[in-house]
Formats: sequence, structure tokens, C-alpha cells
Amino acid sequence: MESISITVNGKAQSVEVTPDTSLLWVLRDTLGLTGTKFGCGMALCGACTVHVDGEATRSCTTRISAVAGRNITTIEGLSPDGHHPVQVAWIDEQVAQCGYCQVGMIMTTAALLAKNVNPTDGDIDEALGGHICRCGTYQRIRAAVHEAATKKAAKPVAAGATR
Amino acid sequence: MSALAPKIPPVSRRDFLKSGAAGTASLVIGFYWGTSPRAANAANDAAKDFAPNAYIEIHPNGEIRLIAARSEMGQGVRTSMLMILAEELDADWSRIKVEQAVATSEMKYGDMTTGGSESVRSSWDPLRQAGAAARDMLISAAAETWGVPKDECSAIGGSVIEHKKTSRRMEYGALVSKAATLPVPKDVPLKDSKDYRILGTAKPRVDGGHIVIGEAHYGIDTKVPGMLFAVVARPAVFGARVKKFDGTRAQASPGVKKVVEVPAVEMPPLFGEERPANSGHQHYLWGGVAVVADSTWQAITGRKELKIDWDLGAGAEESSEKQRAACAEMVKGAGKELRRIGDPAKAFDGAAKKIEAEYELPFVAHTTMEPPNCTADVRDGKCEVWAPTQNSGGMATALASALGIPPSAITIHITLLGGGFGRRLNIDYGVEAALISKAAGAPVKVIWTREDDVRHDFYRPMSHHRLRAGIDSQNQVTSWMHHIAAPTTDGMFVGGDIPDTGGTEIAGTGLSGGTIPNYLLESSFLHTAVPRGYWRGVDSTWNHFAVQSFIDEIAAATGKDPLELRRELIATKSKPEAGAGDQSPADVARLRRVLDLAAEKAGWGTPLPKGRGRGIAGLAGWGTYISYVAEVTVANDGTVKVDRVVCAIDCGQVINPDMVKAQVEGGLVFGLTAALFDEITIEDGQTQQSNFNNYPMMRIGDMPRVEVHLVPSHESPGGCGEPPVPSIAPAVANAIFAATGKRLRRLPFQTQELAKA
Repeated sequence: MESISITVNGKAQSVEVTPDTSLLWVLRDTLGLTGTKFGCGMALCGACTVHVDGEATRSCTTRISAVAGRNITTIEGLSPDGHHPVQVAWIDEQVAQCGYCQVGMIMTTAALLAKNVNPTDGDIDEALGGHICRCGTYQRIRAAVHEAATKKAAKPVAAGATR
Repeated sequence: MSALAPKIPPVSRRDFLKSGAAGTASLVIGFYWGTSPRAANAANDAAKDFAPNAYIEIHPNGEIRLIAARSEMGQGVRTSMLMILAEELDADWSRIKVEQAVATSEMKYGDMTTGGSESVRSSWDPLRQAGAAARDMLISAAAETWGVPKDECSAIGGSVIEHKKTSRRMEYGALVSKAATLPVPKDVPLKDSKDYRILGTAKPRVDGGHIVIGEAHYGIDTKVPGMLFAVVARPAVFGARVKKFDGTRAQASPGVKKVVEVPAVEMPPLFGEERPANSGHQHYLWGGVAVVADSTWQAITGRKELKIDWDLGAGAEESSEKQRAACAEMVKGAGKELRRIGDPAKAFDGAAKKIEAEYELPFVAHTTMEPPNCTADVRDGKCEVWAPTQNSGGMATALASALGIPPSAITIHITLLGGGFGRRLNIDYGVEAALISKAAGAPVKVIWTREDDVRHDFYRPMSHHRLRAGIDSQNQVTSWMHHIAAPTTDGMFVGGDIPDTGGTEIAGTGLSGGTIPNYLLESSFLHTAVPRGYWRGVDSTWNHFAVQSFIDEIAAATGKDPLELRRELIATKSKPEAGAGDQSPADVARLRRVLDLAAEKAGWGTPLPKGRGRGIAGLAGWGTYISYVAEVTVANDGTVKVDRVVCAIDCGQVINPDMVKAQVEGGLVFGLTAALFDEITIEDGQTQQSNFNNYPMMRIGDMPRVEVHLVPSHESPGGCGEPPVPSIAPAVANAIFAATGKRLRRLPFQTQELAKA
């Protein structure tokens, strides 16, 4: 066991775990942030996606020691009020069915749009190609990403909106 | 899927509804909501002492609450049930909420099974009748308050009663204390569909907001004070058991609290069926060794240190190769005759043209995105579990049996389900968690890794089909013979020969027309230790693939257009055959309409460039009619890309058009994923696949453009969860044939056979 410092959703924290512990289970079991989901444990499905210094990252295969001192954003910290343009677009397009994979999809999309303000279908397929939705919501996801891009262009989110 | 398609018992109207004032002056309407044989018994008991299993509460502050006994797994059932109730009640949509009923072995809320595409179908009448009765009582209360005749008052929507002559209005909340004192009216007329304000509109999902902020709570998100975390080492070989184990090293692993053996236990049938003595069923929890720790990661890490000797059993001899060979051999001979019309063998022998083909489908897994998991707290003779389950009733029965405690000591909290697809009709993960909690003496959350899930599923059965058709000199099909070789699903849980099918499940075999004068359906039973279960679309997913592919093979051999041949085969209404799903009789006119509509919208018959093709398939089942036209492109290397799918669906009265479309998009992806990629193979009695690297899923880049056309209808609602699954695989197989002239008869598609030399 070691004491490892990380910053999660803007809050500096120290956790006592073995250094090889995956970030996913630290978030879920140690910090109680269960918005981030377990899907495969091998970075194959994307359900566990969080932002590490703004980059979409699979938390299930990320060792906690590798993110010591880094800034981690989970779905709980994506927006102060749940109204990130991606979250709003997801509701507008009624994307979710069971909803389990959608948090990971939303986190990857938010990271994509931070870099690429107007992604093509090809860009979307590439960015979200690492994600799996067993309910088959892909057609709506694509529509929601385009809509979020439009919303974001209309109303830019202030930098540092992460709480 | 006979187990999930019980006869719906009539419930006496006399006892259907009852009101009562709760502690506060709210209007509470209890009503009866039953679908299963078990619920039917409860209804008989209730004839004397009415025990409602669902409640509507209307509170003085205007809030309306429905306590409902169905599980939400992404199909939107919480939204659709509320829409049905809100419509008949003329309720304010923004102030009506649904609350998940808690399950107990006492079955207070009746049968809570969520499966068989039944939730809307079984809710349709009870919810409307209860809503209409409540509305009528509120109208009476308003009329009394104003001192005006009741027939001058009406509900105008938005939870408001109006007296038009005097322009007076009152909200429901202000009327509930008076309404609660009134008798519950009988036989209140239901609304005419032309007056619907809510049904047929695209209301957003009531739980969508929680999902996008990460606050939708699935089973895996359960938090209980003092909770520990566990994973289990289960026997890799089906039917194997723990001989002995050494948990010393695991126990020494960081954070590990306890290493406990999970005993093997016999499990009851899933749905309360009678199981004959010595039935030969295979429904067991096979046991294993659990590692209980302070976190999931520590439990997973500790499990790697276990040393276990397994008693492998006979299952270790099994392999997919042997199973496939056995089925192929069985279909050569005669099977158990399940349905016969005329003299099919004689007609076949004398036919001018003979067509024969064999089709194969593999075992496939459910892989819900939320893996199986359950949190259990078994202490002091009581059992409380938090489970993402479609079958709390079956789980409660199995828990009582496995723990040896009375049903009254069991409580099941049904969480949101991160996908169900039939996997969570099984109860193994609940019983296992309870046994581990009992042994650990603490609340325990048992999590399955993806590898645990893929290797220990109850798989959709493999199957092998031999089809033969005789064509006469007039180019008409005069004989049809279908021999299915497969393991049973129902037999796995109940055992023995299943009386109505004789071994294998037959939904989806029907042609929904009965125009072929000589017909034979027979089956042979493959014995296997590989667990089988109900997989979205169930037996229709295999039988329908064979039947709808074979129709196109006949079309090709007789020079007929595939759509035209289907129209011929369903031309008469003289003898409608059982459809897919629950095998309810099909209305051939409705089936024909969806075939025609999909064809028209897809541009059936218009030319496509070289390398592209269109295919059609359609089915009647679960009270719904659905057809697909798929368009594919086949590359020179054999790669198949599904470009576009046009769907026509007639599911009766549409509750929510957007949710129907979502179910079609999702069911189509579920069926197409299996058609393109999925195969569970067995070697030395073990599943060879383990995770999404070797059990791949469709991803966003594989998604075709999907167009869904709804047939307007005011017939009773049909199911929508399963009907979209079966037809996509044969529609795509038929499109591949149209594009290439090559027929792929095995799933997943062996696309390498399409590569050009």
C-alpha cells in the first residue's frame, strides 16, 4: 500500500492503494464515484473512459501510479450542472437505452469536441470506434455528436468549467 | 419460449380495482396486474381477499405515483407504462412518476418477470382501466364539489377537471380527499384512440437525465454500509465441481478478507413451473471459490493466487466440432414429429424440382454491458439483495431454497439494469452472492469480470437445420420439411421432454400462411452440458434465419422474386400458422403490409451497382409484425458492409414512436452483431472466448443507416423488444446472395467464402 495523490474533478485527494491498482476501481470503490463504469477491464469497450489532463483515457487499464499528480475528470465533474453541450445533445437525441455505456461515450465525445469543433462522420467513427453499446444506439450517438458540436459552436463552454 | 408465454388468466373485474385512503388524504388505487401462472394462483386467492399488486397514488400536492413491478433495462418500460396511465388518467405529464416495486418471496407485487416482450402488452389493459377509474372518481368529486351534474364535467388533461358551463376548473390534488371516499366505479369506458393526447407522442425517457450525469444507479453501483467486494473462481468446464482448493496465497494477498467455497446447489425452475421428479434438468449453481476483499481490484488480484483442483465431469469431453457433427448426423434421419400437414415425404419424392439446404447457428452470449453482479446481505436469518434482475420472483424462490430461510425473510431491491437481453432472467448471480455473503458474515458485492461473464453465460443454443422443399410442375411449393437439431432451453431449467415442442423450441418456424399443402416439422435433441438460456428473440432467432433464407433459395430455384414468393406463401388466410415469439396466431394481412411497406420505402426492384444487393425478411410474433429490407456491399475480399436497413413495423397502437424506433435500431444491432461476428465455441468442455477481443461487437463504424416506418394502428399494442432481432440476419444473408450469387448458410457469416480469387 502506498499513499498516492491525484486530483479528481478539481479536488486534490490522497488514496492508500497498491500502485498497480487500476484507476477505475480507485474511482469506483475507494472514492465512490460510480458514474464511471466497468465493462471489460481490457480497454476494449470504453465504458470506463475518463479525462486525464483533458485526454480521453481508459481508466480500467490505467494504473493509479501513472496518474499521480495528474488531473482526472469523471462524468461527475464534466459540467457543474449536467448541461455540458454533449449531455444536452444526448438528451435531445434520446440516445440512451440502458444507458450503461453512455457515460464513456459522453466523456470521449467531450474530449473530441475540445479538439475538433466540427467532426465528420469519419472523425466520430474513429473517436468512438473503441466504444461498445450493446443496446445499439450508434445512429443516435452520431447525430448527438453533430448536435453537440453545433451547440458548442453556438455557446462555447468556458475553459475550466470542470468543477 | 413457452416458459415466458403463459396464458394470461382472466381477472375478475369485481376484484380488479380498489381504492383506499393512505395515511394522508391521498387517493390510492390498487389494481391487479398479473400474467403468469403463479400470478394466476394469487388472483384466485385474491377472489376472497383482494390483494392489489400495483398502485396509483394521487397526492394532495398533485403528484402522481405509479408503483410498478417491471424492470427497466433500456427498453423504456418506466416511460411507456407512465404514458399509458397518464393518458387514461388525463394526468399532468410533468408530475407523474414511477417507482420501482421491491420484490419479496411473498409476491406482494405479483409476477415481476420482465421478458418475452410482454411489459407493455400485460400493462395495457390494467393500467388503462385503473387510470380510467381514477379519472372517473376525480370527475365525480369535482361534480359533487361544484354541485353540478357529473356529465357536465370532464378531464381536460394536465390533471385538471373542468365544468365548461361555468368555466370552473379544479386540479386533481384538490380533489383527492373527496375522491378517496367514493366507491371505485366499474366498467368505466376507456378513451377512444382519436382522443389520445399522450399515447403516440415521442415523450422523452423519464430516466434519461440521470444517465447523462452518471447518476443512474445500476446494480454494480450499489453501496451498502460495511460492504465487501468479491469475485469468484468458477469451474471453466461446464458441470465441473471443486474437488479441493488452497486459498493460502490468495488469503495473503493485499486487502483480502476471506476466501470461501461457494457450494454447488440445485436450483429451482426459473418461472415457478412444476418440475417432474428425476427430470434430468441441468439447473445447478456449480459452485466455486470466492475471494472477498476490501475492493474489487484486490479481490481480482487475490483470485489469481487461488489453487483449485476441479472434478471435471463428463462435460470435459465436449467440443463444438463434435456437437456440430452430431447435429449434422441427426438431421439426416427422422426426428420427433412436431407438426405435420398432408404427406410431405411423398409429395417431396414426387416433386418436379427438389430443393435442399442446411443451416447452422452457434451458441452466442448476451454480454450485457453491465456484467452480472449482485450485492447481498445475509445475516441473522434474513436476506436482502440488490440485483439488476429481470426475474426477481424466480430469484426470491431460489434464494429461499438455497439459504433454507422462509420467503418472508427475503427482500430484493431491483436496480436499473445495464442491459438485460434475457441474461438476467437467470438467477445464478443472485444466489451465488447470497451464499458468499452468508459465508463472509457481511454484505458483499459480487462482481463478474467480462471473462467471467463470457465463459459462464446461459448461451443462446446452437442449432442445425435441414430444409427440403418440393416444387410441382406449376412452379408451386407443394412440400416443405424442416428438421431442427438443437439442445433445449426450457429443458435445461425444467427438464425432460418439453411437452409442446418435444425437445427443441420451434418459434419462428411458421410461414404464417399455411399455403403449403404438405408440411413437416421435426426435431432432434442434442444433449450437452453447455448452459442455455433465453437470448433476446429466443428460438425465433435460429428457426427464422433458416426459414427466411430457405424461402429465398426457393425463389432463386423457381425464378421468382423473393418478395413475390413471400406474398404467395402468405396469400391465404385459410389456416394462419403460429408466428414467432410467443407463437400467437398471425394476421397474414398485417404481415403482408409490412413486407410491402418496407419494400416500397427501400425501392425494392430498382437496380443497384455491381457488388451491392438487397434482401428482405419479415416476421409475425409477440403481437407485432416487422419486416426489413437490407442493402449490402460485398467487397472483393469478401468483406460485407451493411449500408442501409429499411424497416416497416406494425406493433399495434404505438405508445411512443421514438421508443419503438429505438427498439428497432437496438434489436437490429443485436441481431446483426450475432450474424456478423458472434460465436461461442467449446473445446474440452470450456468456452474458448473471453472478452470483446475474441467475442467482438458491432461498433459505430459498422452501423448501417436505419429507417423505421411505423404502420398506424389502433390494435392492442404488440411487443417491441424482441421482434426486431430475428429478421435482420436472413435479410442480410439474402442481400449477400443478391449481391454475389453466393448463399451463406452458417452464422456468423463465413465471409471468407465470398472473397474473389
